[in-house]
Amino acid sequence: MSHVRLIDIDKYYGSYHALKSVNLTVDKGEFIVMVGPSGCGKSTTLKSIAGLEAISSGEIWINGRNVTREEPGDRGIAMVFQSYALYPHMTVAENMGFGLKMAKRPQAEIDVAVKRAAEILRITDQLDKRPKELSGGQRQRVAIGRAITRSPEVFLFDEPLSNLDAALRTQMRVELTTLHQQLGSTMIYVTHDQVEAMTMASRIVVFNKGVIEQQGAPLELYHNPVNQFVAGFLGAPRINFVAATLVNLRDGVAEVALEGASTVHVPVADTAGLTNGAKLTLGVRPEALKIGDVPDAALSFDAQVRLVEQLGRETVLYVDAGPLAAIGSESGTHNFTVQLGTAAPYAAGQSIKVSARAADLYLFAPDGKAVNRPKLIAASL
Amino acid sequence: MSELWKRHRNWLAPLLFIAPGALLFGTIIIASSFESVWISFFDWDGVGPKTWAGLANYRELFADPQFYVSLKNNVIWLVMFMAAPPLGLALALLVNQQVAGMRFLKSLFFIPLVLATVTVGVVFGWVYDPNYGLLALIFNLFGATAPALLADEHAVTFAVVVAALWPQIAFCMVLFLAGLNNLSPDIIGAGRVDGARGWNMLWHVVLPQLRQVGFIALAVTVVGALRSFDMIAVMTSGGPFGSSEVLAYQMYEQSIFSYRFGYGAAIATVLFAIMIVFITWYLRMMVRLEKETR
Amino acid sequence: MFPRPLPEEKPLQRGLYVGFVALILILWLLPLFAVMLTASKTADEIMAGQYWTWPKHFNLIENFQAVFAQTNMWGYFINSLIITLPSVLLVLVFSTLTGYVLARYNFKGNALVFALFVGGNFLPAQIMMIPVRDLMVSVGLYDTYLALIIFHVAFQTGFATLFMRNFIAALPDELFQAARAEGASPWQTLRHVVIPLMRPALAALAILTFTFVWNDYFWAIVLTQSDAVKPVTAGLNNLRGEWTSAWNIVAAATLFVAVPPVTMFFLMQKHFIAGLTMGAVKG
Ligand SMILES: Nc1ncnc2c1ncn2[C@@H]1O[C@H](COP(=O)(O)OP(=O)(O)O)[C@@H](O)[C@H]1O
Ligand SMILES: [Mg+2]
Repeated sequence: MSHVRLIDIDKYYGSYHALKSVNLTVDKGEFIVMVGPSGCGKSTTLKSIAGLEAISSGEIWINGRNVTREEPGDRGIAMVFQSYALYPHMTVAENMGFGLKMAKRPQAEIDVAVKRAAEILRITDQLDKRPKELSGGQRQRVAIGRAITRSPEVFLFDEPLSNLDAALRTQMRVELTTLHQQLGSTMIYVTHDQVEAMTMASRIVVFNKGVIEQQGAPLELYHNPVNQFVAGFLGAPRINFVAATLVNLRDGVAEVALEGASTVHVPVADTAGLTNGAKLTLGVRPEALKIGDVPDAALSFDAQVRLVEQLGRETVLYVDAGPLAAIGSESGTHNFTVQLGTAAPYAAGQSIKVSARAADLYLFAPDGKAVNRPKLIAASL
Repeated sequence: MSELWKRHRNWLAPLLFIAPGALLFGTIIIASSFESVWISFFDWDGVGPKTWAGLANYRELFADPQFYVSLKNNVIWLVMFMAAPPLGLALALLVNQQVAGMRFLKSLFFIPLVLATVTVGVVFGWVYDPNYGLLALIFNLFGATAPALLADEHAVTFAVVVAALWPQIAFCMVLFLAGLNNLSPDIIGAGRVDGARGWNMLWHVVLPQLRQVGFIALAVTVVGALRSFDMIAVMTSGGPFGSSEVLAYQMYEQSIFSYRFGYGAAIATVLFAIMIVFITWYLRMMVRLEKETR
Repeated sequence: MFPRPLPEEKPLQRGLYVGFVALILILWLLPLFAVMLTASKTADEIMAGQYWTWPKHFNLIENFQAVFAQTNMWGYFINSLIITLPSVLLVLVFSTLTGYVLARYNFKGNALVFALFVGGNFLPAQIMMIPVRDLMVSVGLYDTYLALIIFHVAFQTGFATLFMRNFIAALPDELFQAARAEGASPWQTLRHVVIPLMRPALAALAILTFTFVWNDYFWAIVLTQSDAVKPVTAGLNNLRGEWTSAWNIVAAATLFVAVPPVTMFFLMQKHFIAGLTMGAVKG
């Protein structure tokens, strides 16, 4: 059952078109994560759902009601902000009960609701403190508790973890996921951190420049990005892109030429609009690159190790493949990133051979659209 | 609460909130100032009917030698008042040390600021008394006789301005102390590491950080210089022979004592024109500084 | 910190520095000490022209008693209170409302309204004197407390709006979004979020406004006439004319006028300075 619906939302700030015809349907109990680079319109979308920003056109439905013209307080939402936005002059309990107090609910009812929320978040012993006596993690809990107290239809989170340090962030990620399972409420969560997106979401919505690029389950997006942007946004270390020229297209296999490497054959699902000579982009994820000779390798080239990052269980190599130039790689130089799932004794300066299988190659049309879906094709081969 | 109210409260509530303050300020301060301009085109004794006079008041004003005396005195006030920011900064630097007892001394320095201008006027009236004033005491110590500053038409304005500077310097001192408290310790530290000290430090590292405070100090000093009425009224009543009058005082005297409200309004209008230039400058600087600090 | 702090380990140097500052302070406040000295003298000494000698007989209390018994200063003092206190209260109320709206609502003309408040607050009083006086005369308020109260509230609302607007604008935006998301109406937000957070600012504004209104002299002489309404500042100047040779009495009265603002200042020094600097600096 659809719980939150955004229908053709447009939002202008003056002449700036911040949201472009956004459509989104959220089912009851889903954990939706909206990701995208900073400034792409995630917060704007969230605030539009909350009613904190008036949308320029479109409709917003929550729980079967058209709430487009309703006040935020009447929409059945609760919001958790990046800066927590706790009222500094109120105690934790007063902060958590504020919404109910504004709705003129009896104090006894407020107390019960606050106590219940405090128990869920294990902050019962903090109720009489003021926000400034709390640590960052505790404040975050209070902010979430304030949302729970109102028992909203929908929880909205705007980058709630980005002010926490790395360790606490990991812990809160787990707690939020647990909380979602416990409450079973609909949650819409905004972040620019793809790790949060991948680990927490039941569905990810990728935003870019005010439009939704793609939505789906985390692994679905990871393996089958519909375009170059999504492929580039999800995954760390970032996917490697190289310029490729289409030489020949026959029987669902594209033959592409790379500068400084042998011709590569990639199976293609969608051949519409592809002509010989087209400037394409070939993508290959760092963990799909192997070192040494791989049986049935579709892509292979010689490279020199520039930098080695030993992370214990894995090793990341930054390699220079000479004329085979990766586009916009991490360090800005013409490097490939290779991620190995083991501790491997490589050293800078070493010459290696790098290969990848056809099933791990992505191919994007000049307009950025994906022309193959490697894993699906791999399965059908 | 009705549905109607709830639907419209997002624009009605702010309207209701701003109404009392805006109406009061709008009518009594803003509209009145413009009404002065209107009145300046009339002959009016303040009680009877107004008769249209066109630009007659202005023609008379620009031919009135007293107008130029007042204008010149306004300029003297303005120029001499420019000493307040640097002197205030000097005092602020003097007391900006964390030593036992300094906090108390610091607050005593601020006292002139909270005194009424009338009080300051009365106090300095004393200081300048040629027979038994503080000034006389000092002159007598050196075996000289003190000049009667407030009776000397060449010295009187300078004497009054010195008195008025007293609280103004304290004001600037407070502002600069706040500015010194907000200095970025990192930038000062960087300056020290780069070997800046003393004057170099002040000029190249500290003063640039005090720009905003300095701007405010300058602005309040200009406004202070144009609010010279009280001191003159208390210390000299514009005398001797109008030699210490400024536009504000001349305007008051023409209206209240000579019942020439139209003429007074013309002087007020000149003052208003000067103020508009200043206010425009101020607002533009304010916007610029706000953009810079963002 | 600039200038470089005096070294902790050189107490002598620190002591000398304080002594030096104290010396400057004495010179700085010399005019005030002169008034105190005069206020402590007897009429006889003044008559004998002994202004600068140490008082033979410490007469400060008697001089103050004389001010209360023989002059109308006490009456003026009460008048000042009657004018100042309601003015301060109303200024706080109005400016909180205007400041809140100008800080948090982005309507067309917001900047213009704000600029009018800021600009108007700089205008010298003489510019609006004739119309204001005429208005008060025509509505029958001339020479009443109300005339002064109305004017002061109107005028101080300019500065106070600048002050409150800047303070409220400095509050984080998300605080207001949170309140709205929780269903607080504009009025509830003002009452439960803004006002509690503005308490220190309001305290600062209150004593600033108190000082400004208490110290006013110009409007006191323009809008009032009778002793029954006149505030202390106008009263003091009258007194000086009437008691020309009794300098000890005039000096005592001068100190008396200065007592409330100076006391306020010392009691709430932190607020006063914060108010003056924040109000001005943030503008
Ligand atoms: N109040 C506003 N006025 C003008 N532009 C805004 C406003 N709020 C956001 N924007 C612009 O809209 C775009 C989207 O902003 P936002 O939704 O906050 O991005 P994010 O995805 O980082 O949360 C940004 O380019 C931002 O500059
Ligand atoms: Mg955002």
